[in-house]
Order: sequence, then C-alpha cells, then structure tokens
Amino acid sequence: MSVHRTVVLAVPDWPAVAAGIAHGLSTAAPAAVLRAGRIISCNAPARASGVETGLNKRAAQLRCPELTVIPWDPEVDHRVFAAGIGVLEDLVARFTLLSPGVVSIPALSLRRTHASEESAVEELLTGLTDSTGWEFFPGIADTAFAALLASRTATRVPPGRTAAFLAPLPISSLTAVDAHAYAELVPLLGRLGLTALGRFAQLAEADVHARFGTLGRRAHRLARGLPDRIPADHVRAREFRVHSPLDPPSGRSDVLSFHARTLGAELLGTVRAAGLVCTQVDIELTATTGETCRRTWRLEDMDESMIADRLRWQAEGWLAAGGAGTGADSRGGPRTRGARPDRTARTARPDRTARAVPENGEDPGPDPTLVSGEDGICAIGLAAAELLSPLGTQQSLFDQHPGRIAHTLERLQGLFGPDAVLVPGLQGGRDPAETNLWTPWQQRPRPERDPEAPGRARCRLPAPRSSSTPRWICSTSAAPRSSPAPPDSTTSRRCSGSPARGRCAWSTTPRPGRWRPAGGTGARPSTGCASRSSPRTGPPTC
Amino acid sequence: MSADPVHAISALTEQLTRLPGIRTASELFAGHPPYAVDAPLRPLFQRGGLPRGEILAITGEHSFSLALAACAAATREQLWCAVLGMGEPAVAGIADFGIDLSHFVNLRTPLQDWLRVTSILVESFDILIVRPGFAPTPGDRQRLLAKVRERRMTLITLDEFPGTGERLGVRDVRWEGTARGAGRLEQCTVTVHGSRTGTHTLLLPAPSGRAEHPAPMPGAEHSVPAVGVAHPGGPVPRIHSVD
Repeated sequence: MSVHRTVVLAVPDWPAVAAGIAHGLSTAAPAAVLRAGRIISCNAPARASGVETGLNKRAAQLRCPELTVIPWDPEVDHRVFAAGIGVLEDLVARFTLLSPGVVSIPALSLRRTHASEESAVEELLTGLTDSTGWEFFPGIADTAFAALLASRTATRVPPGRTAAFLAPLPISSLTAVDAHAYAELVPLLGRLGLTALGRFAQLAEADVHARFGTLGRRAHRLARGLPDRIPADHVRAREFRVHSPLDPPSGRSDVLSFHARTLGAELLGTVRAAGLVCTQVDIELTATTGETCRRTWRLEDMDESMIADRLRWQAEGWLAAGGAGTGADSRGGPRTRGARPDRTARTARPDRTARAVPENGEDPGPDPTLVSGEDGICAIGLAAAELLSPLGTQQSLFDQHPGRIAHTLERLQGLFGPDAVLVPGLQGGRDPAETNLWTPWQQRPRPERDPEAPGRARCRLPAPRSSSTPRWICSTSAAPRSSPAPPDSTTSRRCSGSPARGRCAWSTTPRPGRWRPAGGTGARPSTGCASRSSPRTGPPTC
Repeated sequence: MSADPVHAISALTEQLTRLPGIRTASELFAGHPPYAVDAPLRPLFQRGGLPRGEILAITGEHSFSLALAACAAATREQLWCAVLGMGEPAVAGIADFGIDLSHFVNLRTPLQDWLRVTSILVESFDILIVRPGFAPTPGDRQRLLAKVRERRMTLITLDEFPGTGERLGVRDVRWEGTARGAGRLEQCTVTVHGSRTGTHTLLLPAPSGRAEHPAPMPGAEHSVPAVGVAHPGGPVPRIHSVD
C-alpha cells in the first residue's frame, strides 16, 4: 500500500455548521454564513429551502425568510472544529487537520488495527458522529487531494485508480486545495481548453513547468494523482499555560520582570519536556481593577528572558496608557475602552486596545496622573499560543541576515516601547488610513476588516494611491481639550460624529490647489481651498 | 637604493586596509555595485543604482514617493528597508511602488531621537529613509557618514543634509487626468534634478502606481509652455541630460 494513501473525513458546509453551533441554533434551523456580501456556506435545512452559495443576503432571505445569516468568522470555524475533533485523538494514531471541517488520516496507520479500509471508516464515522453529532463524509484515495475530492461523493478509490478517478473532474477542483493560490491558474487553464484534470495531466511535465512555474507544476502533480508532500501531523491538543498571582500587586517593572522570568522558565520547561517548540506566546496581565491586557508575541528562539522583556514592555505600555490603576473609570475590559467616541478606529481593535496609540507620531510618555503606585498588576499568565515540532522552526537558508535585523529591532523596541517598530500589512477598507495594518514587530497581525472583501482598497481606490496616510484634524470646538483628555483626542485621524471636519497635510498626494487640467491652457489656480473633498473623484472601479 | 617596489605597494595596501570601511585595497578601486533600482529610475543615479556607503538626499514635495520607488527593487531582492520619521505611511501606496512588504519596517520613535535611532539602524539595515527631526552638528554628521560608509549601506534623507554625495531634487510636480470638471487623477509627472546626472522627467506614480518613463506625447512641444514647466524654451524633457 502506498505511503500516501489517505482517508479524508469532511463535514460538508462546515462554516455554516460551525456558526450555527457557536450561535446556539438547532440543527434543523436554516443558517447561512455571509462573507463580503455573499453567502459562502449554508447548512442542509437552508439548502432545502433553496438557498445557494453566491447569493446575496437579501436574495437568500427572500427564498428562506427564517434564515439566520451570520457573518463569517474564521476563528469560530477553527475553534468549534478543534473542540469537537478531540475525540479523534483516542481513535487514531496520526491525523492532520487540512482545514476547518476536514481531517486526513494516513491509511497506513489504520492497517494494523482494522480489517479493511471500509470497516475502519465505518468505525471512525460511528465514533465521531456519536460524540459530535456532525455528519462526516469519507473519501479514500492514493493522495490527499484525490481523497478530498472523493469525500465530496463519499467514494473509495481503489489503489492505483486515482489518476482515472481524477481525470473526468473539472479543473476547478484544484481550488479545493488552496482557493487563493489557484485563483488565477484555474481560469487560465479553462481558457486554454483544459477543462478537465485528465486533459491537464496529459501535458508533459517539463512543458507545464516552463509555462506555469512551480505552482503549475504542483497542480500538474496533483492532477496526475501523484503525492505532493506529506502533511504536518496534528500536534496533540494539550494546553501549556502557567499562571501566577502577584501578592502584593505591583506595577514595578523589576518585580514583574522577576516573576515573568520564573514563570517563563516554567512554561518553556514543560513545552520542551513535551518535545515541542513554542513560537508564539500569549501574555495576559490582570490589574487589580479586574481589567486584563492580552497580547500575542511571536518570538524566534524564545527563552525566559525574552518573555520577561516582552511582559515588562507590555505592562509598562499598559500602565502608561492608564489601562490599569484607574479604578474610578473601570469599564470592564479593553473593548469598551476603545468604544469611546473620541478614540480612533485603531484603538477600537480588540485585545490591542490597552495602549492608546498616539496618532501624531510623538509618544507623549507616561502620564503621571494616571499611574498610581498602589494599584498595579495582580496576576500574570503565560500561554503557549503556537506549538511546532522542532523541525518546523527551521529558518530559511536564503534569508539575508534575519537575525541581525531582529536583534536591531528588538533593541529599538526595548528603548522606545513595542509600538515604535511597525511592520506593514493590508486589510479591507475604503481609504488609505483604513487599509493600513501596522503591526508591532513580532506581534501577530489582527486585521479588523477582511482583506479579501470587495471593499478593499485595491478595488475601491484606483491607482495611483497616496504613499502617506492623509490625516484629518477635528475641529477643536467639537472635542474641547480639557486637562484629562487623552493625548490623541485632538489629532485623531478621523472623528466620527464630529460635524466639522477639515483636512490638512497630505504630504505626497495632490492638493486641490495644484490640480491642473491635462493639456489645458488655463492659468494655474492661485490658491487652493484646503477644505475641498478628497481627490477620489472617479467612480469606483468595481 | 630605494625600497623594493613590490614591498612598497604591499605596504600601501596594508595602510589602506587599515582605513575604516575599506576591507581590501582592491575594494577601493572596484567599489561595490550599487543597489538595483527599477529601470525608469536608473538614469537618475550616477552609477545606475542606489549608491552604497553614501548619504543620498532627496528633497522636494514628492521626495518620499521618489525614495520609496528607488528602494522597491532592492526590497524585492530580500534587502531590508526602514523608514523613520514619516508617521504612518499608506501601505497600499507602498505596495504599489513594488516594495516587498515583508522587508519593510516603519519606525515611530520620537523625532528628537532620530539620530540615535538612525545610528542603531545603520548597523543592520541596507536602506534607510529618514526625515531628520533636527539638523545634526557637524561632528555627528561626520560620525554618521563614517558609519554609513563602513557598513556600505544607503541612507536616504528627505531633507537638506550637508555633506551628502548625490542629491536629487524634485522640482516640478504636475498631476494629470482631470479635465474640466471630469475625470480623476491618474498620473503625476515630476521633474527630478540630480546633482550628478542632470534633469529628468518621469511619471511618479504612473497609472500603474509605479515609476515609469513618460509616454511620448504628440504635440507636447506646444502644451509645455502653456502649463508652465520649468523648461520653457525646449521640448518636453524625456530622460535626457541638460547639464
């Protein structure tokens, strides 16, 4: 039997099923998941009422008025599945989570414990359905890709017949592996007349590689029924979490650092004893007022002193921003702090709201009125957020001195706080300020808006786009600056609810006063009106 | 009898090697190849790329865009680029210039600390774009220059900086695409004056978002004086030197 022969168990319409479970709906209630204005998944009762994927919300609710439409949340997909799949750890020796709702099991590992593949699948399905209540579709084939496609029709492909099974399937089946990577290749192959995987598989491998590159070669191997690579095994779910109360509560960085070092050593010790490597750590601080501050740090070659440094920075930034110790205005958590109307959109982000980020590029420093020496942090907790096997943490040989860059940036973070060093990313949004996703170095980016949503800047804002973020200054009369006002209240990028809104200082984008008609002969306008609308005058391109 | 000429040369070599920033004597003559830039920007630089071991000053209204466009090709070759003192640049615009976002870092440190931060970053980064928060003293300037020369990296300042090697000044910025009451801004024609290479005209950004050569325009000679370009006498300058 081939090493790559795989059993795939898949729950159809997983996002809808997961969202239904997360929202406490009964399995008979129709539910659908909406992403970027389109239904991407709907459960069986919704399908029975005529709801299909690709409809918009209104059309779906027209067909099924009692439909519950839930916005897509990948976190929920993963969380619900991880909670339910724990039972599989008792049933099989090795398995891989291909995506939420799909697990693959090497058929070789079932060989010794079960008489045949059919009986093994029967037993697994019984065990899974008894404990979770979800309906799994099985598929067995010589490769994981073919098994995934076979699970759509609950098929067992006999050994050696995988290529024949794949041949009549449409070329769009490639998107089952990675919809994003093959989004451009699949329509291209279709235009070339290669509508079935079998036609694509007949081409010579060298020609495919020459024309379509590495991605095309991978797709070609998949289409021929050849194994691509061995998937990474599922790491047994075991929580690595340490927690320590601080008695008496303290806001002093040396005390926190000392405790964090002991706690970090304990955490890393248990992780190492399990034969794993921790690459991301969650640091959670609890203040005496009950508020918590939590950040996820990504660290290469983590050791306890690095954890202690991160914890100290996090605590200093949080205390300096008045997150803890201001018992008078305790609002029960970071999320509600960000919901104040005079805060910017950036600070409304959950979990990263603990520190109000000043928008004018200058750090105001700790405000002595907000930190009180008596209050402080009463408990610290560390949790391993990402665990890998030691091989998975190998660095690429071809990176240019990443260690030196990391070292420099860490040093700067130590001097100026973690928010001083930012790496760029893109998220959904309608103007440059919204699409910016600046994440502190070594922290996990948390996009507020889906970068793939149709409202993202690539579609909305036609090129050329400004290279600097425009800033709007609120009229100071709308938000009078009194002494306890947060430092960023008058220079926030945008103030919703503030009626008077002027604009200033586009550094590299055109100012209205500098516009000239193309090829026109008119004299240059002498003065520009600074309060004219932004230069996005064209219609949206999509 | 004078000293053996071979011996004299080796002594000279050894002496040169001891100078900071020069590791071997042949380096002095061969130099380092400059960092690659996109094809439309090549004529702007004396050696066809970002000079290494030098401070490059880019001034003018569009200077940040020009600096980003100049370091785009280098970041795609896995070199690291950092930006200091620019507040919060727009990521979408940066990506449009062709910059590899995974090799780009923005620093938001207090303006008065720019010299300290720069001296830390010079140690490991390949390209730095800096807006100085204040004018450094001549001594600081010399130390910074020596560090840059030793590390063979490129420091781009977006302000006048005495003692720089190449200087690029963005002189004339002209947005196009709007007719009277219709259309939208589509491209921007800038005139860049290089201290060593003369005056050039290029599209920054072009409709694609990157830097490009301007398209030849029929009848452009007549429209140029009308809109008042910096060269009223001649035809539209298309990448040619006027030294």
